[in-house]
Amino acid sequence: MSNRTMSAEHRQFFSVWRVNARSQTLSKEPVPAAWQPLGGRALLARILVDDVATTCDPLGPHNKLIFAPGLLVGHTLSSCDRISIGAKSPLTGGAKESNAGGRTGMQIALLGMKALIIEGQPDEPGWWALHLSASGARFDRADELAGLGVYAAAPPLLEKYGEKVAIALIGPGGEMKLAGAGIQNLDKDKVPSRIAARGGLGAVMGSKGLKAIVFDGSGGEKPPLTDADGFKQARKAYTKALMGHPQTAIYKEYGTAAIARMAHAFGALPTRNFSQGQFEGLEAISAETLRQTLLDGSDKGCETSHACMAGCTIQSSNIYVSIDGDTKVSPLEYETIGLMGSNLAIDALDDIARLNYEVNDLGLDTIEIGAALGVAAEAGLMAFGDAKRALELVQEIRQGTPLGRVLGNGAAVTGPVLGVTRVPVVKGQALSAYDPRAIKGTGVTYATSPQGADHTCGLTIRAKVDHLSPEGQVALSRGAQYAMAGYDSLGACIFAGFGFGADPQVVPALLNSRYGWAVDEGFLRQLGKESVQLEREFNRRAGFTAADDRLPEWMTQEPLPPHNAVFDVPEAEMDSIFEE
Amino acid sequence: MQITVHLHTVLQMPTPEGLRSRLDMDVPVNSTVRALLARLEISLPLEALLLVVNGRLAPPDYILHENDTVHLMPAISGGSEFTGEVSS
Repeated sequence: MSNRTMSAEHRQFFSVWRVNARSQTLSKEPVPAAWQPLGGRALLARILVDDVATTCDPLGPHNKLIFAPGLLVGHTLSSCDRISIGAKSPLTGGAKESNAGGRTGMQIALLGMKALIIEGQPDEPGWWALHLSASGARFDRADELAGLGVYAAAPPLLEKYGEKVAIALIGPGGEMKLAGAGIQNLDKDKVPSRIAARGGLGAVMGSKGLKAIVFDGSGGEKPPLTDADGFKQARKAYTKALMGHPQTAIYKEYGTAAIARMAHAFGALPTRNFSQGQFEGLEAISAETLRQTLLDGSDKGCETSHACMAGCTIQSSNIYVSIDGDTKVSPLEYETIGLMGSNLAIDALDDIARLNYEVNDLGLDTIEIGAALGVAAEAGLMAFGDAKRALELVQEIRQGTPLGRVLGNGAAVTGPVLGVTRVPVVKGQALSAYDPRAIKGTGVTYATSPQGADHTCGLTIRAKVDHLSPEGQVALSRGAQYAMAGYDSLGACIFAGFGFGADPQVVPALLNSRYGWAVDEGFLRQLGKESVQLEREFNRRAGFTAADDRLPEWMTQEPLPPHNAVFDVPEAEMDSIFEE
Repeated sequence: MQITVHLHTVLQMPTPEGLRSRLDMDVPVNSTVRALLARLEISLPLEALLLVVNGRLAPPDYILHENDTVHLMPAISGGSEFTGEVSS
């Protein structure tokens, strides 16, 4: 790491902002040497290990809510301005990083924050908006926003703090401290739809009495560039590689929803609470149907392509407006289509969009809630395919009924409460929309990632391998996990990988010109590996063992149609995955 | 010999009734996936396609059998996300 310190100019620009939610004070501190070479997910992991008591109660005063922009954030590089948010997870009990697009990363960079660490919790009940700007930190009472969904809470905040700020906010789910709650960020069009969804970070924010955090970077400058000309050249090469990549065009036109047909083809599309791998209603929820629906609805405001961050050239997002014009969701994504569509046997995009809207408004993770509803359906609380009943169950969460709170705490709580054993979770976190029995590399990722089950930690569906064979999946997952953790530490969207992959010199060139470093093309993997190992260290100290690095046992026993596959990657192989 | 072909995203065929995603085709005995691509006039390079037969990845020279289900997916290995350590 000796070739990765921060220059005097960068040390001057960046500081660590430490906010105490009890005393309502801010201190700005120099960036410790060990934190200087890191950003995003890797920095979060380092701060968690260095600064957070591993045995703390995730919702107690000793947990810390941390925001860290990735190493490339702050220069509107396409798809590279994401914000990483982390804490000890109330859902998994381990290290958690969840990242999102939107405005927050950019505003944080303009304020010169290497990281924002929010500590403590208020003595008195109530809700605050934390306002952060060049003038410092201010806590404003926000009790009038309590109970409001994020779509209703954002406009008065924008009116009060100005149209150009970034806002991270929670919905009623976070206020109720539900383990399925995330943190919503404004997109470039001021819609609070960019959720750091996974792992219950919204509950941690709620435990600190914060309904919203406002980032006002006005008057701020972009982070310094050690070699501005070099950065310009590297940016050009990166944008060219990204734009020239055929997959960019596919994502622009079809979005992530294109994966629905792909997962179905491999027999890995979660259907009826992960009991089947293909869905007879696929056509109605496919990307192609979605695209046609969006094209047909353009007069209502539907859009097939939409950028979540300024400067994004991929624009994989979309805007879906329902047939009656009442529901507007941006984006409608594959994971939601999988977990709230086929997983619940719901075969109408309008119904999925409605559920998506409600769950977003509550500030909850659609993956976690979709999985919890699948478990609830298996328990007989709703019939598979009954979208109206699914919506009623989501309204139970809004009302804060005991059943609603059970569902809002995710599949791992819902299963035992309702007596269901087919519960799709690892480390307490719901599986995303790839059944691991049919995409076994992704199954290894689900099992072994320190984050809990999460496709963004290392998806393997596009690898040219036999996904049904247990052989080679551990190595495949390892490579994907290190690469993804690397991207998450740069602030890069997964899709930036098209540009990075097409030209391996791009990442080193961008970093070296920005920071004056001398890293090579092996750096991304090294950064990713470091992140994963720090997270594993945090988890080890928090009490995790190899027994936590397993898929649910039923997935090793219960054959998944149509291939009748079980998860059979040897445990011993998985236990040594991070030794290389 | 009858097979079923499923076309993904940009490969779907425009028809007066809308896009066609599924084709029930009669192909000669011993024909390959490569020959199928030529017949469908799919011009994407092979490395830009995932060829999946009966749920498993298949090589271009895979010889088709009666009642095979073929999925043709444009899916280009981009970042190391996609290839993991297989390519390194």
